[in-house]
Amino acid sequence: METKSYDLIVIGAGPAGLTAALYAGRARLKAAIVDENLPGGWMKTTHLVANYPGVFPEIHGRDLAKRMEDQARHFGADFYTAAEISALELQGAVKRVVLDDEVGLEAKVVILAMGQEPRKLGIPGETKFKGRGLSYCATCDGDFYQDKDVVVIGGGNSAVEESVFLTQFAKSVTLIHQFDKFQCSAIAEEHARGHAKIRMYLCHEPREYIGQDRLEGVAVQDLNTGEKKIIAADGVFVYIGFTPRTEFLKGQVGLDARGYIQADDLMHTNLSGVLAAGDARVKVYRQISTAVSDGTIAALEAEKILREVK
Amino acid sequence: MTQEINQDQFETEVLAADLPVVLDFFSTECPPCEALAPKFSSLEEAFTGRVKFLKVFRQGNRALAEKLNVTGSPTLLFFRQGVEIGGRLSGEIKKSEIKAALEALLN
Repeated sequence: METKSYDLIVIGAGPAGLTAALYAGRARLKAAIVDENLPGGWMKTTHLVANYPGVFPEIHGRDLAKRMEDQARHFGADFYTAAEISALELQGAVKRVVLDDEVGLEAKVVILAMGQEPRKLGIPGETKFKGRGLSYCATCDGDFYQDKDVVVIGGGNSAVEESVFLTQFAKSVTLIHQFDKFQCSAIAEEHARGHAKIRMYLCHEPREYIGQDRLEGVAVQDLNTGEKKIIAADGVFVYIGFTPRTEFLKGQVGLDARGYIQADDLMHTNLSGVLAAGDARVKVYRQISTAVSDGTIAALEAEKILREVK
Repeated sequence: MTQEINQDQFETEVLAADLPVVLDFFSTECPPCEALAPKFSSLEEAFTGRVKFLKVFRQGNRALAEKLNVTGSPTLLFFRQGVEIGGRLSGEIKKSEIKAALEALLN
């Protein structure tokens, strides 16, 4: 297997990783950036970004992602995208990453910036109905439900905003949320509450996806009365938050109980030469701006570590 | 570059194909579909002569999608001698998952 040597390997090409690669390139470090998907991370799926300072008027998430990617490429980062990590060694002085069992990368410093992915509910029928009525992406699949009945599960911004988005196609949208209040912004809630096509079941929890060859409904339970009922649906969209993409780090890097990477203010993890940045880190606020900040600090620390070991 | 078909060609290109077939239903405005494309192309190269790779635009071929109960993008379907084989892959799909499914399709 071919092995390529770098000063720094950045895992994850969202805003944190792209910023780290940019800073590394400008410090004349030889940097590789790898991602299982294409560059841009979760930022890319955000329709409009209106709160990233200096970029005004608002910009499509995918356009901001492209700008960050272009900037990192311009300063010399090597991109390995749509590439899956098949082996990872972070313990020694030289860190090794194998991609698709085909390409080996090594470096003295690694920055972990894999971000998060949508959380799954973990109820019966999830695997069976994925792609057969069960979806995690309203812009991808919403148009399929023209004049049909859909259910949205969740109560945060994504769930409530996507419910309103889906009303342009669906005959009805039923929003199911486990708590008695939504966790979304006041504006999003106003839009949903005033909408004739949207009905809401608060204090209800989904128990099972129901159907033969394709999804036909969701069994839900009223948390106040214990009563169970089936809500008929042609499609179900799930927006119940995120989970970090850190499964492959277990046993190597210190994680908290929810799987987020434990790192200090300078982004150092429990392993020497291994830094963390962005949404995969234990932190309170997950924004593009905070991811960019983490990526900056991690790259500057990487530069410092490399100076010391040379 | 993966060959794109429309629903009228499904019978001849997929069901009547000599080789096993993997068919990708994709959509526009679909980040996981974009992420799948380079993985799909690289596997197409690796499986040349053994598996036929095809894609179909879901929004433009709604009748076929409905007939096959495909409701999400991207969705990969696998066929051998006119019959759908094994499970489907949908949403964010790993390259290793596709590779495993293709190997299963050949055995």
